[in-house]
Amino acid sequence: MDPRRHPLVIVVGGGGVGKTTLAAAIGLASAHAGDDTLVMTFDPSLRLKDALGVGDEAINEETPVASHTAGRLWASLLDARTTFDRLIHRYAPDEAAGQRILTNRFYDRLSGNLAGALEYMASERLFEVADEGLHDRVVLDTPPTRQAIDFLGAPERIVSFLDSGALRIALKPWFDDQGKLKATSRLGILGRNVESFLDRMVGLELLRDMAEFFQAFAPLFEGFRERALQVQDLLKSPRTLFILVSGPGSGRVADTLFFARRLTEAGYNLGPIVVNRVHPLLKPVHPATKTEGHRLLSWLGRRDHEGVAELRDLVGDSHPVVEIPLLPDEPTDLKSLSALGELFESRLDEELSGRGTPS
Amino acid sequence: MEVLKRLDQLELLVVTGKGGVGKSTVSAALGALLANRGRTVLLLEVDPRENLHLLLDTPPSGGEIVEAASNLWLQHLEPRKLLDDLVREKLKVGALVRKILSSPVHRHFTEGCPGLKETAVFGRALRMVEGHGPKKLRKPDVVILDAPASGHGIAWMAAPRLVAEVISSGPIGHLATEITTFLEDRDRFGSVVVTTAEEMPIQETIELLEAMEQRLDRRPELVVVNALYPSAPKPRRSDDEATRLWARRRAVNEEELARLTSIWDGPLAEVALEPIDAGPTLVGVVGEQLALDLRRT
Repeated sequence: MDPRRHPLVIVVGGGGVGKTTLAAAIGLASAHAGDDTLVMTFDPSLRLKDALGVGDEAINEETPVASHTAGRLWASLLDARTTFDRLIHRYAPDEAAGQRILTNRFYDRLSGNLAGALEYMASERLFEVADEGLHDRVVLDTPPTRQAIDFLGAPERIVSFLDSGALRIALKPWFDDQGKLKATSRLGILGRNVESFLDRMVGLELLRDMAEFFQAFAPLFEGFRERALQVQDLLKSPRTLFILVSGPGSGRVADTLFFARRLTEAGYNLGPIVVNRVHPLLKPVHPATKTEGHRLLSWLGRRDHEGVAELRDLVGDSHPVVEIPLLPDEPTDLKSLSALGELFESRLDEELSGRGTPS
Repeated sequence: MEVLKRLDQLELLVVTGKGGVGKSTVSAALGALLANRGRTVLLLEVDPRENLHLLLDTPPSGGEIVEAASNLWLQHLEPRKLLDDLVREKLKVGALVRKILSSPVHRHFTEGCPGLKETAVFGRALRMVEGHGPKKLRKPDVVILDAPASGHGIAWMAAPRLVAEVISSGPIGHLATEITTFLEDRDRFGSVVVTTAEEMPIQETIELLEAMEQRLDRRPELVVVNALYPSAPKPRRSDDEATRLWARRRAVNEEELARLTSIWDGPLAEVALEPIDAGPTLVGVVGEQLALDLRRT
């Protein structure tokens, strides 16, 4: 339940809940505690990049952050396309085979756009750095998905595709040297139908690109499949801890619970649930000076506190619910990021020691 | 008034925005607004989880077209099903259709081929405004598409062109080309960008506006800045934490709004944060705010 005891920490949650900033703050706190820590993130805000002092040079590269902490802090920005390209370089039997894939038109469109590619690449990179074992702790921020569980299913989906037999059909060379469609009797009735159907639907041009892509990709698949299976194991390992971040308000409770349940049912190790950006309760205002604004702010404070209480009630003792207040500003430097990290840790300590948070 | 006239004229309106900015609420409010002006509106939702019905106080449609209010129709789409429908339409032979649909090649192709799902959704929208809808709603005047929040909004609008470039023949290629032409038609297609006045959403909005200009040579018809904090009272030393925070959030809103307006001089609507949970009441209030704002622009 305590991210400070796990070498891998994965921060998940819906879009726009402040996941990325929180992941950076947790990483910084870990470095303060003396652990060499890597924070991997997607699409951080300019301010967060400024706060960490990293720019484009950190794309898929572990870049040291001048954090002056007891343990070193590293940051890396994830990019699906570069990770994919790197993977191909690693598994391609030779340079020419690698180049054939990288310049294939189908790959070009596919790698950046393929459903789940970003999610898969995040877990792939996580595996890479975990495998290298250079850091005491890795904190991974995940892509913003409405259905955040999609991220976790990505390796499984790739394995199931590789096992489905789709490839065996796709890999049959469809075209001869002149680029003409070959006789396809050996594919059987199914292959013929599928092929002629695809031909009618999308035309031969795309099929040719696809066939070429799959043929060039074939030598890579075994390594790729192994890898996807290992990633899957890593995500479900007890060494990995998930932190679920949610927005405030009772309207979000059902979504948060739904996601928490799906995570635990699927065998992932879910730790704290963070309710982020909780509005403070507004002190009662004298009726004479009360404005519409006051009414709104008291409503927001009440709504958010009711939401936290409701969530605590439903979650019970199974996970600590950590409440983080709405901050006046998003952290813009290491100092404010440290403050957020400290706040998170102290609130978590209160929850873990069972004292509960003062409201 | 000009913006309203412009919106009245369009046949397809795509509403885009980052997750958590209130995009669905604004889509529903815009739908209600145009329906009140006498247009027959069809709201299309593509999110994997069906939500819009909750905002319009109707039971879940299960994929059917339902009338949520007078002139305001609603449908939840699953791109997967649309693609399967396309197979059924083209093949007609039952046994063959079943074979294709259960084939892993087809499944992976339709899952993996970039832009196909978007093309299928736009294809449905196009068929509807051309009068090929089901009996109960043959031809809506305007389709409002509540685009999924994931990724940048430009991906949705650029997808059919991508497909048209990669697939040049066959029914999908033809459909993609047809949609590309439709999306280029300024008299028929437009978009609305929804954001909050916070750093990340404004940053993404600025990037989206630039990308639209460069890649599509288009500007949205309207930018909606949602959930603005009200002006805070003059700061006093006795202010509690919540009041100081309120003042700061308002200041952030103003800074970010200024950042947006420094690059956007087009129609802009500002919608205040309201003490109402997401639902039909909020949709009504946001709709009134939008109507007021748009009459002013």
